[in-house]
Amino acid sequence: MLRQVRQTTGNDLQWAEDVVQETLLRAWRNAAKLTWERSLLWAWLLTVSRRIVIDGRRRRGVRPREVEPPEADSIAVPDDADKTLAAIVVADALRGLSADHREVIEQTYLRDRTVNEAAVILGIPPGTVKSRLYYALRSLRGVLKERGVAS
Amino acid sequence: MSESSHHEVAAYALGVLDDGDVEAFERHLDACERCRQELKTMSELPGLLDGVKSSSERAN
Ligand SMILES: [Zn+2]
Repeated sequence: MLRQVRQTTGNDLQWAEDVVQETLLRAWRNAAKLTWERSLLWAWLLTVSRRIVIDGRRRRGVRPREVEPPEADSIAVPDDADKTLAAIVVADALRGLSADHREVIEQTYLRDRTVNEAAVILGIPPGTVKSRLYYALRSLRGVLKERGVAS
Repeated sequence: MSESSHHEVAAYALGVLDDGDVEAFERHLDACERCRQELKTMSELPGLLDGVKSSSERAN
Protein backbone atom coordinates (compact mmCIF):
# COMPACT_ATOMS: atom_id res chain seq x y z
CA MET A 1 0.00 0.00 0.00
CA LEU A 2 2.82 2.43 0.82
CA ARG A 3 4.21 1.87 -2.66
CA GLN A 4 0.84 2.63 -4.28
CA VAL A 5 0.21 5.69 -2.14
CA ARG A 6 3.70 6.94 -2.74
CA GLN A 7 3.00 7.04 -6.45
CA THR A 8 -0.13 9.07 -5.81
CA THR A 9 1.72 11.56 -3.61
CA GLY A 10 4.36 12.05 -6.28
CA ASN A 11 6.98 10.14 -4.31
CA ASP A 12 6.69 12.19 -1.12
CA LEU A 13 7.50 9.41 1.34
CA GLN A 14 6.67 11.29 4.54
CA TRP A 15 3.30 12.33 3.18
CA ALA A 16 2.66 8.81 1.89
CA GLU A 17 3.33 7.38 5.36
CA ASP A 18 0.89 9.84 6.92
CA VAL A 19 -1.73 8.89 4.33
CA VAL A 20 -1.32 5.18 5.04
CA GLN A 21 -1.68 5.83 8.79
CA GLU A 22 -4.85 7.83 8.22
CA THR A 23 -6.21 5.19 5.84
CA LEU A 24 -5.71 2.42 8.37
CA LEU A 25 -7.33 4.54 11.05
CA ARG A 26 -10.39 5.03 8.88
CA ALA A 27 -10.43 1.32 8.12
CA TRP A 28 -10.73 0.57 11.82
CA ARG A 29 -13.62 3.00 12.11
CA ASN A 30 -15.34 1.07 9.31
CA ALA A 31 -14.88 -2.33 10.80
CA ALA A 32 -17.89 -3.70 8.92
CA LYS A 33 -15.91 -3.46 5.69
CA LEU A 34 -13.16 -5.61 7.12
CA THR A 35 -15.35 -8.63 6.48
CA TRP A 36 -15.28 -7.93 2.73
CA GLU A 37 -13.30 -10.25 0.56
CA ARG A 38 -9.66 -9.34 0.24
CA SER A 39 -9.56 -7.89 -3.27
CA LEU A 40 -12.58 -5.69 -2.61
CA LEU A 41 -11.15 -4.55 0.70
CA TRP A 42 -7.94 -3.60 -1.09
CA ALA A 43 -9.88 -1.61 -3.69
CA TRP A 44 -11.75 0.15 -0.90
CA LEU A 45 -8.56 1.02 1.01
CA LEU A 46 -7.12 2.53 -2.17
CA THR A 47 -10.17 4.74 -2.69
CA VAL A 48 -9.88 5.93 0.91
CA SER A 49 -6.18 6.71 0.52
CA ARG A 50 -6.83 8.59 -2.73
CA ARG A 51 -9.42 10.80 -1.17
CA ILE A 52 -6.98 11.62 1.63
CA VAL A 53 -4.28 12.53 -0.88
CA ILE A 54 -6.64 14.69 -2.94
CA ASP A 55 -7.89 16.48 0.20
CA GLY A 56 -4.28 16.95 1.29
CA ARG A 57 -3.31 18.50 -2.03
CA ARG A 58 -6.11 21.00 -1.70
CA ARG A 59 -5.16 21.93 1.82
CA ARG A 60 -1.59 22.49 0.77
CA GLY A 61 -2.75 24.31 -2.32
CA VAL A 62 -0.58 21.97 -4.34
CA ARG A 63 -2.18 21.12 -7.60
CA PRO A 64 -0.69 19.38 -10.54
CA ARG A 65 0.00 21.77 -13.35
CA GLU A 66 -2.77 22.34 -15.78
CA VAL A 67 -1.33 20.45 -18.68
CA GLU A 68 -2.57 18.20 -21.38
CA PRO A 69 -1.54 14.59 -21.05
CA PRO A 70 2.04 14.47 -22.22
CA GLU A 71 3.05 13.55 -25.72
CA ALA A 72 4.80 10.22 -25.72
CA ASP A 73 8.15 11.76 -26.61
CA SER A 74 8.01 14.41 -23.84
CA ILE A 75 7.85 11.89 -21.02
CA ALA A 76 10.78 12.26 -18.69
CA VAL A 77 13.44 9.59 -18.61
CA PRO A 78 12.51 7.00 -16.05
CA ASP A 79 14.03 5.29 -13.13
CA ASP A 80 11.99 2.37 -14.19
CA ALA A 81 11.54 1.40 -17.82
CA ASP A 82 8.39 -0.65 -17.29
CA LYS A 83 6.66 2.20 -15.57
CA THR A 84 7.55 4.63 -18.33
CA LEU A 85 6.43 2.22 -20.97
CA ALA A 86 3.12 1.86 -19.13
CA ALA A 87 2.82 5.67 -18.89
CA ILE A 88 3.35 6.01 -22.63
CA VAL A 89 0.72 3.38 -23.35
CA VAL A 90 -1.70 5.04 -20.91
CA ALA A 91 -1.10 8.53 -22.38
CA ASP A 92 -1.68 7.10 -25.83
CA ALA A 93 -4.82 5.29 -24.72
CA LEU A 94 -6.13 8.55 -23.24
CA ARG A 95 -5.62 10.32 -26.54
CA GLY A 96 -7.54 7.52 -28.23
CA LEU A 97 -10.66 8.08 -26.09
CA SER A 98 -13.49 10.26 -27.31
CA ALA A 99 -13.04 13.95 -26.43
CA ASP A 100 -15.86 13.80 -23.86
CA HIS A 101 -14.34 10.82 -22.13
CA ARG A 102 -10.81 12.18 -22.09
CA GLU A 103 -12.05 15.51 -20.79
CA VAL A 104 -13.78 14.11 -17.69
CA ILE A 105 -10.71 12.09 -16.70
CA GLU A 106 -8.50 15.14 -17.15
CA GLN A 107 -10.82 17.49 -15.29
CA THR A 108 -11.24 15.17 -12.32
CA TYR A 109 -8.52 12.72 -11.44
CA LEU A 110 -5.64 14.24 -13.38
CA ARG A 111 -6.27 17.66 -11.81
CA ASP A 112 -7.31 16.56 -8.33
CA ARG A 113 -10.84 17.81 -8.71
CA THR A 114 -14.02 16.25 -7.43
CA VAL A 115 -16.99 15.47 -9.66
CA ASN A 116 -18.91 18.55 -8.51
CA GLU A 117 -15.97 20.88 -9.15
CA ALA A 118 -15.42 19.44 -12.60
CA ALA A 119 -19.14 19.75 -13.35
CA VAL A 120 -19.00 23.50 -12.65
CA ILE A 121 -15.92 23.93 -14.82
CA LEU A 122 -17.35 21.90 -17.68
CA GLY A 123 -20.82 23.43 -17.33
CA ILE A 124 -22.57 20.04 -17.23
CA PRO A 125 -24.57 18.31 -14.45
CA PRO A 126 -22.62 16.21 -11.91
CA GLY A 127 -24.63 13.17 -13.00
CA THR A 128 -23.30 13.61 -16.51
CA VAL A 129 -19.73 13.79 -15.22
CA LYS A 130 -20.29 10.56 -13.28
CA SER A 131 -21.76 8.73 -16.25
CA ARG A 132 -19.05 9.93 -18.63
CA LEU A 133 -16.40 8.89 -16.13
CA TYR A 134 -18.00 5.48 -15.91
CA TYR A 135 -17.95 4.88 -19.65
CA ALA A 136 -14.54 6.54 -19.95
CA LEU A 137 -12.97 4.21 -17.38
CA ARG A 138 -14.59 1.19 -18.95
CA SER A 139 -13.27 2.02 -22.36
CA LEU A 140 -9.85 3.03 -21.02
CA ARG A 141 -9.62 -0.26 -19.21
CA GLY A 142 -10.67 -2.13 -22.35
CA VAL A 143 -7.90 -0.51 -24.39
CA LEU A 144 -5.26 -1.03 -21.69
CA LYS A 145 -6.26 -4.64 -21.30
CA GLU A 146 -5.94 -5.15 -25.03
CA ARG A 147 -2.46 -3.65 -24.92
CA GLY A 148 -1.44 -5.79 -21.97
CA VAL A 149 -1.07 -2.96 -19.45
CA ALA A 150 -4.18 -3.64 -17.37
CA SER A 151 -5.25 -7.08 -16.20
CA MET B 1 -32.57 0.44 -9.85
CA SER B 2 -31.70 2.75 -12.74
CA GLU B 3 -28.60 2.17 -14.84
CA SER B 4 -27.10 5.50 -13.79
CA SER B 5 -27.21 4.54 -10.12
CA HIS B 6 -24.26 2.21 -10.86
CA HIS B 7 -22.17 4.86 -12.59
CA GLU B 8 -20.78 6.43 -9.43
CA VAL B 9 -18.45 3.47 -9.03
CA ALA B 10 -16.01 5.08 -11.47
CA ALA B 11 -15.80 8.39 -9.59
CA TYR B 12 -15.57 6.39 -6.38
CA ALA B 13 -12.71 4.24 -7.69
CA LEU B 14 -10.80 7.39 -8.67
CA GLY B 15 -11.45 8.99 -5.27
CA VAL B 16 -13.11 12.03 -6.88
CA LEU B 17 -16.63 11.46 -5.60
CA ASP B 18 -17.64 14.39 -3.38
CA ASP B 19 -17.68 13.70 0.36
CA GLY B 20 -21.44 14.07 0.53
CA ASP B 21 -21.91 11.25 -2.00
CA VAL B 22 -19.36 8.80 -0.64
CA GLU B 23 -21.42 7.45 2.22
CA ALA B 24 -24.50 6.87 0.08
CA PHE B 25 -22.44 5.13 -2.56
CA GLU B 26 -20.81 2.88 0.03
CA ARG B 27 -24.27 1.83 1.18
CA HIS B 28 -25.06 1.04 -2.44
CA LEU B 29 -21.81 -0.88 -2.71
CA ASP B 30 -22.71 -3.01 0.30
CA ALA B 31 -25.76 -4.24 -1.57
CA CYS B 32 -24.65 -4.21 -5.21
CA GLU B 33 -22.57 -7.10 -6.47
CA ARG B 34 -22.21 -5.51 -9.91
CA CYS B 35 -20.54 -2.40 -8.48
CA ARG B 36 -18.32 -4.48 -6.23
CA GLN B 37 -17.04 -6.36 -9.25
CA GLU B 38 -16.55 -3.14 -11.20
CA LEU B 39 -14.73 -1.50 -8.32
CA LYS B 40 -12.26 -4.37 -8.36
CA THR B 41 -11.67 -4.14 -12.10
CA MET B 42 -11.39 -0.35 -12.02
CA SER B 43 -9.13 -0.18 -9.01
CA GLU B 44 -5.89 -0.52 -10.95
CA LEU B 45 -6.68 2.44 -13.24
CA PRO B 46 -5.84 5.25 -10.80
CA GLY B 47 -2.37 3.76 -10.31
CA LEU B 48 -1.87 3.61 -14.07
CA LEU B 49 -3.11 7.19 -14.48
CA ASP B 50 -0.67 8.30 -11.77
CA GLY B 51 2.13 7.36 -14.16
CA VAL B 52 0.80 9.87 -16.69
CA LYS B 53 0.27 12.49 -14.01
CA SER B 54 3.70 12.29 -12.42
CA SER B 55 5.49 12.18 -15.75
CA SER B 56 3.70 15.36 -16.82
CA GLU B 57 4.66 16.99 -13.51
CA ARG B 58 8.27 16.01 -13.98
CA ALA B 59 8.29 17.18 -17.57
CA ASN B 60 7.47 20.72 -16.44
ZN1 LIG C 1 -24.37 -0.78 -8.40
